[in-house]
Amino acid sequence: MVKLFKSIELSLIIKYALRDLSRNYKKISSIIITLFISLFILSSILTIEDSLKKELNDNAKALLGGDLEIDYNRTKGNQELIKQVTTFATVSQMIEFSTMLSTTGRDNNKSLFTRIKTVDAKYPLYGEVKYKPEGALTRIHQEKNTILVNENIFKTLKLAINDSIKVQNQLFTVVGVISAVPDVSGFVTFGDFAMAGAQTLELLQLNNLGSFLNHEYKVRFNEQDNPNVITARIENLFKGDSKVTLRYPENSASGLKRVINNFSQFLSLVSISAMLIAGIGIANTLLSFINQNNMSIAVQKALGFFSLNIKAIYYLQLLILLLIISIIAYGLSFFLVPIANLYLSQALGLNITAVFSLINFIKIFLVGLLVLVIFSIPTINAIDQVQASNLFRNVFQNVQFYYSKKSIFLSLVLLAVLMLLFTIGSARPAYSIGYFGAFFSCLLIFFLLSKFIIYCLKKLNISSNISLQTSIKNITQAKSITPITIMSLGLGVTLLLTLALVGTNFKREIAKSIPEIAPDYFFLGIQNNDLDIFKSNIIKMDNSVDLEVVPIVSSAIVKINGIDPNSYITASNDSYWVISRERRSSWVDSPPVDNPIIDGTWWDLTKPNRLQISLDAKVAKDLNIKLGDTFTLNIYGREIEGDIVNFRLVNYRDLSINFAMLFNPQYANTIPHEYLATAKFKDVSKFNESAMLELLPSLSIIKIADYLSKVTAILNKVFIAVTLISAITIVIGLIVISSAIIVQGKIKEFQNLVFKILGFSKKEVILSSLIEFVIIFCSVILIAVLFAVIGSRFIMQTIFDLVWKFDVTILFYLASSIGLITLLLIMLTNLKYLNPKVYPLIRNQ
Amino acid sequence: MSTLLSLKKVNLNYQAGKASIKVLQDITLKTNNKETISIVGESGSGKTSLIMLIGGLEKATSGTIFFQDYEITRLSEDEVSNIRRKHIGIIFQSFYLIPNYTAVENVALTLELNKFNNPQKQAKELLDRFGLKHRFNNLPSQLSGGEQQRVAIARSIALKPELILADEPTGNLDSENSKMIADILFNYVKDEGTSLIMVTHDVKLANRAKRKIKIKDGKIV
Ligand SMILES: Nc1ncnc2c1ncn2[C@@H]1O[C@H](COP(=O)(O)OP(=O)(O)O)[C@@H](O)[C@H]1O
Ligand SMILES: [Mg+2]
Repeated sequence: MVKLFKSIELSLIIKYALRDLSRNYKKISSIIITLFISLFILSSILTIEDSLKKELNDNAKALLGGDLEIDYNRTKGNQELIKQVTTFATVSQMIEFSTMLSTTGRDNNKSLFTRIKTVDAKYPLYGEVKYKPEGALTRIHQEKNTILVNENIFKTLKLAINDSIKVQNQLFTVVGVISAVPDVSGFVTFGDFAMAGAQTLELLQLNNLGSFLNHEYKVRFNEQDNPNVITARIENLFKGDSKVTLRYPENSASGLKRVINNFSQFLSLVSISAMLIAGIGIANTLLSFINQNNMSIAVQKALGFFSLNIKAIYYLQLLILLLIISIIAYGLSFFLVPIANLYLSQALGLNITAVFSLINFIKIFLVGLLVLVIFSIPTINAIDQVQASNLFRNVFQNVQFYYSKKSIFLSLVLLAVLMLLFTIGSARPAYSIGYFGAFFSCLLIFFLLSKFIIYCLKKLNISSNISLQTSIKNITQAKSITPITIMSLGLGVTLLLTLALVGTNFKREIAKSIPEIAPDYFFLGIQNNDLDIFKSNIIKMDNSVDLEVVPIVSSAIVKINGIDPNSYITASNDSYWVISRERRSSWVDSPPVDNPIIDGTWWDLTKPNRLQISLDAKVAKDLNIKLGDTFTLNIYGREIEGDIVNFRLVNYRDLSINFAMLFNPQYANTIPHEYLATAKFKDVSKFNESAMLELLPSLSIIKIADYLSKVTAILNKVFIAVTLISAITIVIGLIVISSAIIVQGKIKEFQNLVFKILGFSKKEVILSSLIEFVIIFCSVILIAVLFAVIGSRFIMQTIFDLVWKFDVTILFYLASSIGLITLLLIMLTNLKYLNPKVYPLIRNQ
Repeated sequence: MSTLLSLKKVNLNYQAGKASIKVLQDITLKTNNKETISIVGESGSGKTSLIMLIGGLEKATSGTIFFQDYEITRLSEDEVSNIRRKHIGIIFQSFYLIPNYTAVENVALTLELNKFNNPQKQAKELLDRFGLKHRFNNLPSQLSGGEQQRVAIARSIALKPELILADEPTGNLDSENSKMIADILFNYVKDEGTSLIMVTHDVKLANRAKRKIKIKDGKIV
């Protein structure tokens, strides 16, 4: 026996693959387009996410403001220790506080609640402050009563350089405008801020709590020192001081990082949906491609190619295609970074530049590869069905999707890998898994729907109308594209409608909360002895005002059951905010109406000398706190131990007064405290901000409407971006459908020819495809609306804990516009086959 | 003369639903190297089926087929593929060129597959020999039927096979082209000492073969 070759050489396979690809790429253009769009979206998401994170990491020190931050919260801190630090490192002191800032000398003076940052001449230790005009930053250090404001304050209050503004009872000259500061992580992201020199503080009478006073010391290590050694030295120095919090660069902007993670996870899921929808089209196009090459494959087999070699050639073509597409998609995503930067630099003062990451590229390529392989296994396996003996018989039967047990298993494994890729390392793995579960359930149901429609229509016996009859024939015929149309359109429409419903519900919730639940104003920093003046003044302005005043005290949780919570709770915990900084707490005699107790009992009045704490139930769950646990709180430098006695359901979104912790009044009344008030006026115009500030200069006034309009504006932008991105799934779905129609084209053309011969009018042919569309689209829309309702309800009620309402208008508009586009597309693609040339077709048949 | 092909009591049945059609019955046949054979018979008598069996494109229901010393009835599909690739050239009635390959590429395909040196050059020489010098880079759709069949013949003989199987090679051609193809085939077989088994309806063509086999109802008569 002569030794037999097992396979042909790889170089030959590559050669054939390249040759075939270069000649056939037009036939698989829909694969190229859909693959490109979905990989481009994924690339863009990953690239922008990485660029952002790199910017945050690169500028971690600038964002923090130093190599290390010593935070003393409201107190000035231990100056002795700070002084010691200055002996081996540079220290810049910074004090932040919030207060009202008002215009002066106008008929209609306006005021704004502002965060003011007083800095010394060493500021900033890292990065730079962008401001105008030149020299303004030096002026605030040298000249008394000078201030820099940010661009938004400048615009809102219609200021000019050298205008006077009033802060409490002091007049300040606006010497410049700041467009960006490096240490944004310390600021409230959307808040307004101003900057003044270190001497400013003495001019103002700041009250403890309402001003959110914060003392920080930023430290910059000397160039030649080992940062680890210095860090350890500082840690050691402050070891015994319980009032201090040390912060490190890696923790800077942790909130922002979380937002980025969540957002990019969500967008990645949308992009993988697009990719999976594209996969349906890929399988279909590939099958028709193989059918077109049926004869060539048979010839290759007759010439001695093994089935395996031929399959290898096809797989290799896909691989080459994918490699090219992913390189282009990844490369092009870099061009989106400057556009994203435009928005980000405005909103956050960040400047991102594109970063190349091999890992990202590999991930994109891998995702593309998995999708391609999963969807091409049953198609390329169909090559086995082509037989060389066909050549003798002159018949080429179309091959079908072929699933062997092995290939089904392999597909499932690859699918699991794909899902893992999007689940592991994502911010919330459980959401990813839930999303995939929902996605595949929808896919299955849409598939079953298509089978159900075909089954029902087959049973139906209509002979009255010829157009109706042919359209039913079209839907139910063996090679019909009904399942593909229903699945790809169904998934895309479901996703878009769900997001649209979530979006409108969100907007309505926010808009609604202004007049209904939320008060008009928040008042901060009401001192004990100012309380009566404040109350009477408010009532004087509007005696039917709904005024709520609660005592507040600031406290930091330093220990939970004797252990520092910062040692085991990380920034990724949802309730990290409770332990990260000082938080304000209040006390009441009876449980607040909108804060139902879900576990434990209200205050134990027999223990007036023991601090009792009522905790937000969600916080308790996140931090794993049980009834009877003890918190050690730092209140004004005193460590006080308290017991957790009950859990409340707190809804922070209603914008009324809500606290994570409430104390028992018997004990808390003994602690020095201030007041916080909310007011809802019968007629908002009756309230005069300026007059109130005249009377109580240190009062802080926050107008809820202003705050909410800012949030709404941001949400609107986010909503538009999300809708645009999810519309991609529709675009891909439409490409899939049109490619399926084109694949079916030959059959259609022949069919239309037969119609022509039989004497059908064009009108009847058009009418039949119209009926076909209506049957399919209506059933898709019905199911998609059902899913969207279920999905959006779940998101609103379960995940966000908000009210859900059905919105017919948005659904109607979206559904009808998608329907119109789909119809247009179907008509356009069909038009090609509407005028069949009789002669060539007859000769061929 | 040595034996090239030997069939012993070969049967071929096709399953048509529940019924089994006996297409070929007890075929016993021996052919020698360099022999030219024509197979004639009515349509549906089983000529194509016989060719397919010999080419290893169909599995016999029973009996044994030896090609040289390979017992192809016992080999796997891939092993038979391998033998066919190196030793047997097949020509079809409908030419079957790969539509998006040029004439040269169609011929070079088998040469490349079997690691011949300079496949393009050899392919061109072959096409030149069959009078297709000006058609090297044309796609099949740009060639006439006669030209297509010449390319197909060039492809099937590129590896210098010991046996050429042809199933009605002139069936799709007019008389003028038929004669040209027949000349090319028989000249080639004579020059190279190749064996030829050819199915044809054309009596003139059938008579050019040394040996004539007639099949009726699946049996050699
Ligand atoms: N795949 C098949 N299934 C069933 N019967 C077949 C099949 N292929 C061929 N036949 C039958 O086998 C017989 C021989 O066919 P064939 O070898 O093509 O005859 P010829 O080439 O002599 O015209 C015919 O009766 C034909 O109907
Ligand atoms: Mg025949």
